[in-house]
Amino acid sequence: MDTTSLILATTFAPFVGFAVAMLFLHRSPRLAQAVVITGAAVALGSAVQLWLEGPVEPLRYLWFTSGAIELHFGFLLDGLNLMFGVVVALITLCVIVYSVGYMAQDPSNTRYFALLAFFEWAMLSFVYAVDLLQSFIFWELVGLASFFLIGFWYQKPSAAEAARKAFLMTRIGDVGLLIGVLVVMMTAGHFDIPGLLDPERGLIARVAPATLTAITLLIFVGIVGKSAQFPLHTWLPDAMEGPTPVSALLHSATMVAAGVFLMARLYPLFLAAETTRCIILVIATVTALLAATMAMVDRDIKKVLAYSSISQLGFMLMALAAGSLFAGVFHLITHAMFKALLFLCSGLFIHHFATNDLEQIGQAGGRRMKLTSIGLLVGGGALAGVPPLSGFFSKEEIFAALGHESGTVFTIAALAAAFLTAYYTFRMIFLIVLPARIEPAANSGGTDHGSAEPWTMVLPVAVLTVGAAVGGLWGHQIAAALNLQAPTHTLGSMLPALGVVVLGIALAWVDFGRGERVGFLSRLPALQTLFSNGWYIDTFYRAVFVRLTNWLASLLHGVEVKGLDGGFDQVGFGILRSADGSRSLQSGWVQFYGGCIVLVVGAIAVYVGMGG
Amino acid sequence: MDSLPLLSAILLSPVLGLGLILLVPGGAARLVRWISLVSATVASLLSIHLWHSYDTVAGGVQFVERLPWVEALGISYHLGVDGFGTILVMLNSIVYLTGVLTMWELTERVKGFFGFMLLLVVGVYGVFMSQDLFFFFFFYEIAVVPMYPLILIWGSGNRDYAAMKLMLFLLAGSALLFPALLTIYHSSGLGTFDMVLLSQHHFDPDLQIFLYPLIYLGFGVLAGMFPIHSWSPTGHVAAPSAVSMLHAGVLMKLGAFGILNVGIRLLPVGATYWAPTFAVLAAIGIVYGAFVAIRQADFKFVIGFSSVSHMGIVLLGLNLATLAQAGGDALNGAVFQMFAHGIMTALFFSTVGFIYDRAHSKTIADFGGLGAQMPRAVSIFIVAGLCGAGLPGLASFWAELLVFLAALKTYPVVGVVIIASLVLTAVYILRVFREAFFGEANPRWESLRDLDLVGWQLLPRAILVGVLLFFGFFPRALLDVIDSTTTTFLARFLVQ
Repeated sequence: MDTTSLILATTFAPFVGFAVAMLFLHRSPRLAQAVVITGAAVALGSAVQLWLEGPVEPLRYLWFTSGAIELHFGFLLDGLNLMFGVVVALITLCVIVYSVGYMAQDPSNTRYFALLAFFEWAMLSFVYAVDLLQSFIFWELVGLASFFLIGFWYQKPSAAEAARKAFLMTRIGDVGLLIGVLVVMMTAGHFDIPGLLDPERGLIARVAPATLTAITLLIFVGIVGKSAQFPLHTWLPDAMEGPTPVSALLHSATMVAAGVFLMARLYPLFLAAETTRCIILVIATVTALLAATMAMVDRDIKKVLAYSSISQLGFMLMALAAGSLFAGVFHLITHAMFKALLFLCSGLFIHHFATNDLEQIGQAGGRRMKLTSIGLLVGGGALAGVPPLSGFFSKEEIFAALGHESGTVFTIAALAAAFLTAYYTFRMIFLIVLPARIEPAANSGGTDHGSAEPWTMVLPVAVLTVGAAVGGLWGHQIAAALNLQAPTHTLGSMLPALGVVVLGIALAWVDFGRGERVGFLSRLPALQTLFSNGWYIDTFYRAVFVRLTNWLASLLHGVEVKGLDGGFDQVGFGILRSADGSRSLQSGWVQFYGGCIVLVVGAIAVYVGMGG
Repeated sequence: MDSLPLLSAILLSPVLGLGLILLVPGGAARLVRWISLVSATVASLLSIHLWHSYDTVAGGVQFVERLPWVEALGISYHLGVDGFGTILVMLNSIVYLTGVLTMWELTERVKGFFGFMLLLVVGVYGVFMSQDLFFFFFFYEIAVVPMYPLILIWGSGNRDYAAMKLMLFLLAGSALLFPALLTIYHSSGLGTFDMVLLSQHHFDPDLQIFLYPLIYLGFGVLAGMFPIHSWSPTGHVAAPSAVSMLHAGVLMKLGAFGILNVGIRLLPVGATYWAPTFAVLAAIGIVYGAFVAIRQADFKFVIGFSSVSHMGIVLLGLNLATLAQAGGDALNGAVFQMFAHGIMTALFFSTVGFIYDRAHSKTIADFGGLGAQMPRAVSIFIVAGLCGAGLPGLASFWAELLVFLAALKTYPVVGVVIIASLVLTAVYILRVFREAFFGEANPRWESLRDLDLVGWQLLPRAILVGVLLFFGFFPRALLDVIDSTTTTFLARFLVQ
């Protein structure tokens, strides 16, 4: 097949799956699943084939013109897109297959699978977009898909609330992004990504450094919303109200990945904007640390993972801000693997024990689900950065990049965040797999092995376990795809990274490996409360922004009712009252016609008087 | 010119329908419906043909038909459409057709209702097609007047008040327009109402500056212009579904079209002079409407104020179009938004009307979890809501994008503020979703029936959703027609 058919198959196969399932298959969920899985499989197959064939020239089709704007719909097929397209397609397929088992009991099966397909279509179209406005369009559709999937169980008030919050928080970021995209249009006159990045004719050569800083900062505002960075991060922990496989997708290769991917996509612009990178570095570092502290105290397995996502996204952006495209993209890809794995494992636990609570899962016999526990260990190890799992290598690149380019402060902060990561990850692992005294679980039905779960759930976990374990070996391929040289490291340069991981795990062992199983933070109640309330950031937003918006809305509503509307009413009633005396005509509006005639004649008279 | 007088044919389909309805006995409701449906279908098919055969390369006013009427006064039956008119004729046809289908289950005084509705439609077509100032105003009044009986007799709630208020506001607008139009006629010295000729005349700049606000405010009332919009949400709430559809869908566009086709076209100097003032008012309207919509308890009030906000985008675009920096984007966006907003509000009111017919409530707090009981109706409402929130893939996105771009170019601060108001739009739309459709199902509505898949209930809403999606993904089908006229419109404009 030629490139055109391949790329069309990659992006539109999920769309066809969505449309067919949504429109025709409401009564036959099994068939809908089959259609959606076929679509995702076709997408994966053609994405892999495209990747194997290597980078080619972009494809562009005229979408429309309006005045000077010429908008193209097309596909950019360079190393970064081709590689990330495969990651997206692979993880989505895993999640969809997994969902067959996970959502077996749900009556709204068709809607669920159709939405997953929609999600995949939007994300893949975003990844391959050749045009910045096209990117924005599918960026928004990715957000829409997340909204519907987070609120999938819309009858649950908490889920409906979480969906609304996710939409609103990301929308705030999108305002910045949209302004940024329009400013690009105003300065460059087009949206074509290769054209914008071109070193000779692109934005960098054309606009003043200040404008470039403004553009990149505006785009970064969008990234802050989408990739859940401080201060717009608060939607992501709530987003776990969606079904667990959705979280797996949302936190790994889609939604939140879109932000980091956009920065990687437009990397030359960011590289040229020094000030922007400084700001990004600060925000990403704050986010990585902040989210890690929250993950240390939460008892909900999905929330711990959600906070870890926020923190790890901070790591990726730190790497990009520090000047290493390779480290950022590498971590994006390994993180996609191990985070999807961790969520799918947590889904198996939740599915099995019907609880999200770490301790309850442990006490109910979490470790008896062998395959899931292995997945948890591998995924968690990768997250913590245990060699030789994938996360170790990508995180190591980040430290190297920070060490080269930015000050020691950021390196130390990153090491601290990595230490906390190791601590909270192993807290989670120890709480689940270590409890020796296992209480008889109410509904485990005596299953001693993970194999009691349907194969559709086990297989994706196995695939991702392998991916998370060996992903670190792909560094050279990823670097080659980005046309970069993969840096080589000596054992000496790896020592600090190794050290913090060992320390983190050791502290986790001291706290949760034996005895009481309480964290050291319980001896610092003030911090414990601060962390478990997410630093009161949400409380602050509710107290200030939500209240301010409601207050303004009430104020203007009052203006409308009492002022504008009421004012005109008073004028009307006044006319009626004054007309009471001459009521010989029946109704008010006929009189008004009379009034009109007087006005008209008057106006003509005035005009004739003036002009004549 | 086509061998078939296409515009007259479109105009005549509702006229003939109206004539037939008047001949039919009042009890023959079924026949009345079918007459309306057939005339609407014919008009729609002809409109699609019109849209399809409009020559986008040539641009300008096409399909001209001209018959002298009162030669002494220079009045002639002069029809013709440019790209803008073509788009809006099609909009009117779509809303007309789906409006008839939406009211299919009406049982109360069917003959009278459809009679007035067709009269209104005739007026709207006439305005969009007239190239003669006299007929323009004549059709304008024909379109406005039937609103009064339609709300008074078939409305709900506080309908006497709403109908009266609407009428007073609109007639006050006409009271501003009529002297202004006569002055235009008189001062040109051409002795003609021909708008093509008048548009080539250079009116005295001072006179333009004096007349333009009269025209702008006179038409602005109908366009839901801030701060003289307050009749509009009240009118929406009291009106029956199809009347709300026509009211928000096309009548408000008459106002904007009047500003464009009389104000800006004939009085370019005045338009440019006043543009900054009215642009700022329009921007305030965008933000104000969105804020007020957040607080509303009634579905229709939310949509009513969202219309004030969204029509603000049209008005902003029209004002920016007269400023050179904005280029054609502002005008393209404004006209695109007229169309997109028309379809979107028609969809809103059609669906809310359906929910109201079933539940006899429009109060948001009465519902909750309605998604489980009426999945189809709720999904359709959500599509309209997302269109309102400016989501890509639905028609409004393109319109808003173009106006935003023009605003950023001309007045960066205004641009940033109105783009930021997208968050407010999301707030009020999501609030409706959250409180009415999501959450725990209210047992009170357990027996509520959803839209039937067969029959007429799904059809009008499906057509409107289809139109929004089609132009959301293929904006070119609309933009090419609009852009062809924008270029010539603004070229002539800049010379003056």
